[in-house]
Amino acid sequence: MKIRAFTAILVCKVIRGLAKLMGRGSSLPGKYALKICPDILSELKLPELSIAVTGSNGKTSTVEMIAHILKSNGLKVAYNKEGSNQIEGVVTFLIGDSTMGGKVKSDVVLLEADERYARRVFGYFHPKYFVINNLYRDQMTRNGHPEWIKSIIGDAIYDDMTLILNADDPLVASFGKDREGTIYFGADNLPSDTTTHEGIYNDGKYCPICKKPMEYEYYHYNHIGKFKCTSCGFERHDTDHTLTNMGESDGHAEITVDGKYEIPVFFTGIYHCYNILAAYTASVVAGIAPWKAAESLGGYILKSGRISDFTLGNVEGRLLLSKHENSVSYDRSIDVVVNDKRKKSVMIIVDAISRKYYTSDSSWLWDINFEKFRDADIDKIILAGQYCDDLAVRFDLAGIDSNKVEVFESVQGAADYCKEKLGSFLYVITCFSDKEKILSVVTRREIA
Amino acid sequence: MNVKILYLYPDFMSLYGDNGNVRILERRLKDQGFDVEIIKRTITDSAITFDDVDFVYMGSGFESNRNLVAKHLSQFKDGLVKAIDDGVPMLFTGNAYDVLGSSIMTPERDEIRCLGIFDFTVIDQIEKRFTGDVVLADTKKNDVYVGFVNRAGVLKGEGTLEFYVTKVIGSVPLTKDGVRKNNLLGVSLIGPLLLKNHKIAESFVKTICERKGTEYKEIRYPHSEKSHDKTKKALLNAEV
Repeated sequence: MKIRAFTAILVCKVIRGLAKLMGRGSSLPGKYALKICPDILSELKLPELSIAVTGSNGKTSTVEMIAHILKSNGLKVAYNKEGSNQIEGVVTFLIGDSTMGGKVKSDVVLLEADERYARRVFGYFHPKYFVINNLYRDQMTRNGHPEWIKSIIGDAIYDDMTLILNADDPLVASFGKDREGTIYFGADNLPSDTTTHEGIYNDGKYCPICKKPMEYEYYHYNHIGKFKCTSCGFERHDTDHTLTNMGESDGHAEITVDGKYEIPVFFTGIYHCYNILAAYTASVVAGIAPWKAAESLGGYILKSGRISDFTLGNVEGRLLLSKHENSVSYDRSIDVVVNDKRKKSVMIIVDAISRKYYTSDSSWLWDINFEKFRDADIDKIILAGQYCDDLAVRFDLAGIDSNKVEVFESVQGAADYCKEKLGSFLYVITCFSDKEKILSVVTRREIA
Repeated sequence: MNVKILYLYPDFMSLYGDNGNVRILERRLKDQGFDVEIIKRTITDSAITFDDVDFVYMGSGFESNRNLVAKHLSQFKDGLVKAIDDGVPMLFTGNAYDVLGSSIMTPERDEIRCLGIFDFTVIDQIEKRFTGDVVLADTKKNDVYVGFVNRAGVLKGEGTLEFYVTKVIGSVPLTKDGVRKNNLLGVSLIGPLLLKNHKIAESFVKTICERKGTEYKEIRYPHSEKSHDKTKKALLNAEV
């Protein structure tokens, strides 16, 4: 082993140890290791089994679930649990799990790979399995657009990897074209499917390969569904592992995988079900017996934090955590609101688009299907935060009765209004970056 | 009175909420008392006519889509050029106006011939995405525009470009941007730029009223004005 690599490992371990003593986890140790030895990743000796997961949404959840299944089945797993998915974070957790000689001690390396950084990381080592869950419009101020991300992920794919792909997402499934041995997962026709496309834009309208129009037998959501190109014949691939049913009764939600394994779940949000299916598929492909994988998932409650219940004066409410700059996640939250048949109000908060950077870009608001509120039984719509003017114009053009809409610069102002004036159940839709602004002024309630 | 908006490639070049521009303009024209008809033409259409249209719009798309549009739209270049010469107002946002230049060089080094209405070329790459908030100075109209750029490439041919890029927050290697000819405006800003740049929206509405021979009614849109002011302030104050 090169002296540089040894020094890098030493430094990384020392800084990591110090950071842990101070109660901090970060990717700083990896950053130093990379400075000392830029190709440190190729110096590490990885176990036979390694799985990487990428996609626009649900990387962390999927990785957590795979880790849970593998660990429940007796395997020792190293993974980037802090969600530090860029190269520095990857180096930090791998060295954290390795000997001074650079041998990773766990049985499995599980890697949450950032869509943009996978090509850097995989330049040094190739995971045996590469799971790609979905590709859609997400944080485009950084990511460009889904097809851009697709070409960047394409740079990270090597012949010796086995791809595990979402068969229902045409952009993702196109990675499997002419690639033998590819594993596919997907959903059968589900009760919640639609035969027509819902949403402001349709990224499945044209074939990702030949750009001619595509046809769908059904849509699960957005452009995820059973597609077929009218020209080149590219179509949804048969699946190796399948979500065969999804149901909710008496407050208990359950999904069925491969027609026989019933897995109780906390909530049946369709894209959450895809994460479960991806985790199940990856684990089975990695050698876990299907019934064991399903059993492990059944006992696992995802700490999603996606839903928080609260009271605000006499008003009862529920926060639906979504992602700014991600119209798909907003659309799913809107579905939750409109499917609730009570008379209800909705507060949308866009105050800081990101915790990490400022941007004026609110174009993603125009990709969200706020029009769905037009026909729902909505009492009031409260628009709050720095971007309230952008929201106000957007809602005006959604054709929503302006008498229902209240606009506030500050979240506090919006909360005060709700406390004093509101007489209906309140849904709040916002992002991680803004959720504390409302949660700090309400009384939290435990979810039953 | 009827106003016709020709919305080019609404399902093929629809990447950054660009639909907002058409909707904002439609709203403003209705407020002026017009009936608004939106004509949609896309990549699968075998004819695009610019006769009798009062406004033309095209938004951003995947680079691969834009390259196909460059070829497709070339078939109808004569009609487009005539409409530009006749002073039909048009707005091309994001990378849509790339097709009006002379050529696009893809990251694979393929050269895509474009319409050649303006003398600039686009050079794309795949190493890095050029994204960021920008402030543009329109020295001819003494105005300032704000918004976001999200591009795969750079534009060469600064001489033909209209606006000076006076501030960038992020990574946008452009010093000039945008084209203008008669009432056509092309600019790299993405999304509903008519929201954050109400003066551009007003100017289009005024031109349409003039061309239709109707009197322009002064209508204020306070949310749009506030959004412009807030954005401009935030961008000018932001540290780079």
